[in-house]
Amino acid sequence: MSAPVLCASEVSMVFGGLVALDSVSLELHSGQIVGLIGPNGAGKTTFFNCLTGLYVPTKGRVELSGSVLPKDPAKVTVAGIARTFQNIRLFPSMTALENVLVGRHIRTKQGPLSTLLHGPSFRHGERAARSRAQELLAFVGLSTVHDELARNLPYGDQRRLEIARALATEPTVLLLDEPTAGMNPQETEATRQLIFAIRDTGVSVVVIEHDTKFIFSLCDRVSVLVQGRLLVQGSPEEVRGDPRVIEAYLGKPPEEVAEIVEEAENE
Amino acid sequence: MNRLWTVLSGLGFAVAAMMPWVTFALNDGNYPAKSTLQFFDAPFLLTGFRLHLLVIGLLVVLFTFLPLPGRPRILRAAGWAGGLISLVNGAYITFKGGGLGAITAADGKVAFAAFVGVAAGALLIWSGAKAAPGIEFSWPERPSRWLAYLALLVSFAGLLLFVAAILTSGGGITNPYSAGQFMSFLAMAAGLIAALGATGVLRWIGELSEQHRYFSLLVMLGCALGLPFTSAGNEYWMTVAVNIGVYAATAIGLNIVVGLAGLLDLGYVAFMGIGAFVAANLSGAAAAAFDIHLPFIFAAIAAALVAGVFGAIVGSPTLRVRGDYLAIVTMAFGEIFVRSSQNNIGGLTGGSNAIPGIPPLELFGTGFQESISIGGYKLAGGVLYYVLIVLLVALVMGVFANLKDSRIGRAWIAIREDEDAARAMGIQTGRAKILAFLIGATLAGLAGAVFAHKTSSVSYESFRFTESVTLLAAVILGGMGTIPGAVLGASLLFVLPETLREFQDYRLMLFGLALVLIMRFRPQGLVADRHRRAELTTVDDPVEVAAR
Repeated sequence: MSAPVLCASEVSMVFGGLVALDSVSLELHSGQIVGLIGPNGAGKTTFFNCLTGLYVPTKGRVELSGSVLPKDPAKVTVAGIARTFQNIRLFPSMTALENVLVGRHIRTKQGPLSTLLHGPSFRHGERAARSRAQELLAFVGLSTVHDELARNLPYGDQRRLEIARALATEPTVLLLDEPTAGMNPQETEATRQLIFAIRDTGVSVVVIEHDTKFIFSLCDRVSVLVQGRLLVQGSPEEVRGDPRVIEAYLGKPPEEVAEIVEEAENE
Repeated sequence: MNRLWTVLSGLGFAVAAMMPWVTFALNDGNYPAKSTLQFFDAPFLLTGFRLHLLVIGLLVVLFTFLPLPGRPRILRAAGWAGGLISLVNGAYITFKGGGLGAITAADGKVAFAAFVGVAAGALLIWSGAKAAPGIEFSWPERPSRWLAYLALLVSFAGLLLFVAAILTSGGGITNPYSAGQFMSFLAMAAGLIAALGATGVLRWIGELSEQHRYFSLLVMLGCALGLPFTSAGNEYWMTVAVNIGVYAATAIGLNIVVGLAGLLDLGYVAFMGIGAFVAANLSGAAAAAFDIHLPFIFAAIAAALVAGVFGAIVGSPTLRVRGDYLAIVTMAFGEIFVRSSQNNIGGLTGGSNAIPGIPPLELFGTGFQESISIGGYKLAGGVLYYVLIVLLVALVMGVFANLKDSRIGRAWIAIREDEDAARAMGIQTGRAKILAFLIGATLAGLAGAVFAHKTSSVSYESFRFTESVTLLAAVILGGMGTIPGAVLGASLLFVLPETLREFQDYRLMLFGLALVLIMRFRPQGLVADRHRRAELTTVDDPVEVAAR
């Protein structure tokens, strides 16, 4: 198998005395969709923050295409990792198109001087950025609302706009933090198709999601995080059948609980 | 039935215009004789506010039967205008002309005109709202090029005359009643604007000027340069206009920092001060620290550069502090500037003696303060300064507009909206913020250089905290993130004190009151950004700050 695009090895993150992540490893190969599931507070978003440079891991390292990630989120984006946020963080008072144009920021080069002069090269770059942004909006299915303010878009559109904005940075790896949170079944299905389409353009995707059905039908591999540790890692089929996963999500079966209680009482 | 009420209120205005406003007893008193008893000796020689009232009254009657687009709103606007004119003048007479005695009977004559006018206004505001809407009318969406040019020419020329009329409405500083007349005229102007807005013509013109951007910019520039040829073309208003221009240019610079990048700067006027002191020191003035006299263009560039460098220095703490904390840092910088220039640290500011005797600018041997004549038409003194400042403001506007709709401008707005998300998009937020400070300060420094030569004396007293706050108020009042907003805000804050000299004691109070009212009822400012409402600062979530 080829070398992984994104490789996190034994990443630990400690906040004060709290161990949020305990040597979590993850490999993402080109063209793969990897799912990250786990109960609330398992450290999924913390892991994402380590992957995007927002946090510097206490231990372990993250490599993108063989080189260690820079420590500045802006530089990580330049290196090729883009993300969306769990609670949507668009630029609310900018239009949909402008939001995507902000995503083009690092792939365009106009400096202050050429901006002030508005010369031909500036206008050419601006036109190119705009047409690319329009393409991306069309790709996620938002071309009709490009002139709407982001804050006025319906919830599902905002999620898709965030994806378009992330794609505008031309990432090799796209991290999606709960892309279907709060969506109805139709919207969830549309998102699934969108993620497949993104994968088909050659972008590798990591998805955090609570909706296990969504994850199992979407991902090539699934990792389960529980209390900062990697519990299980494998294909959807392997993970789905694993009793430890069921336990982590639903708790122990009643008879086992009864046994534990009994043991505790006997002591 | 409703028509009856609107016609009645229109007639009410007309009657109020004809009635005496002050009784015989006070005819020799304080209020101008003109406004008293004309009805009895010369009923058709109305001028000033009474003429406005009469015209409004007759128009209201006419509009009641004329199917105009947006009729209810036009009638209401007329009601507000007439009512406010009556209120302003009635109140003015009451307070200036001898208390309520001005409206009591004397010699058997009664002066109830103000009451009639106010009542008619109230009636019209009430009944106008219920008037039948006029015809549906939509302005042509894409008119032919020549029609658009004509419309733009006419409207900008109209705007020029309108501005000139507002400026001169108070009749100059020698007129003892200037404040009352000015406010009365302002009431009428507001009504006119509201009525025009109701017909949709203003928005239409706005769209046309968007479609023909370069043409309208050219016309606007031409109209601005036409002001010296209007009734406002005297030395006094030229001076006021130059001051407005200096502050408008500075306010646009501040608008980059506050309006676009969302960085609250409370010491911004210091950059203008730095520019002014640099220009003063390079002007060859006797009190200057350096014995050199650079041509103005080089002095101005030096002023802009030095101010820009200081802008970058002050901007650097922005990498570490956000929101309120940044405001405090900038405020402290402003204070450092004021104190060190007051104490003449480094001998560059003249301390409390200021730097006097800065020579006026010259062009081909003609001093900028002298009056010039073009083709036999003699223009007031200071016209050249006015031209210079118009060009400067145009330049600053160009800088702002070019930046706003660009990669850099979008990065600033993104930082204003959500700094973390902006960083996640790969924007180097630190660099972008420093650039905002640098450019903003450069523009302020440029304005300061003109300021130094125009006022011929530069003192630290012109750059204190109050001035920073006034500038910020101009930006917020006018509308954050917009060019017309900053210019309008600066104009209001510098024209009003001139025209309302009579109320000098209450000036700050009125100013504060206006700010409170605007923030309450129109938080986006007088000229709202087309589709975004800027935030003053994004106040950080305290929990988030603690976690950082």
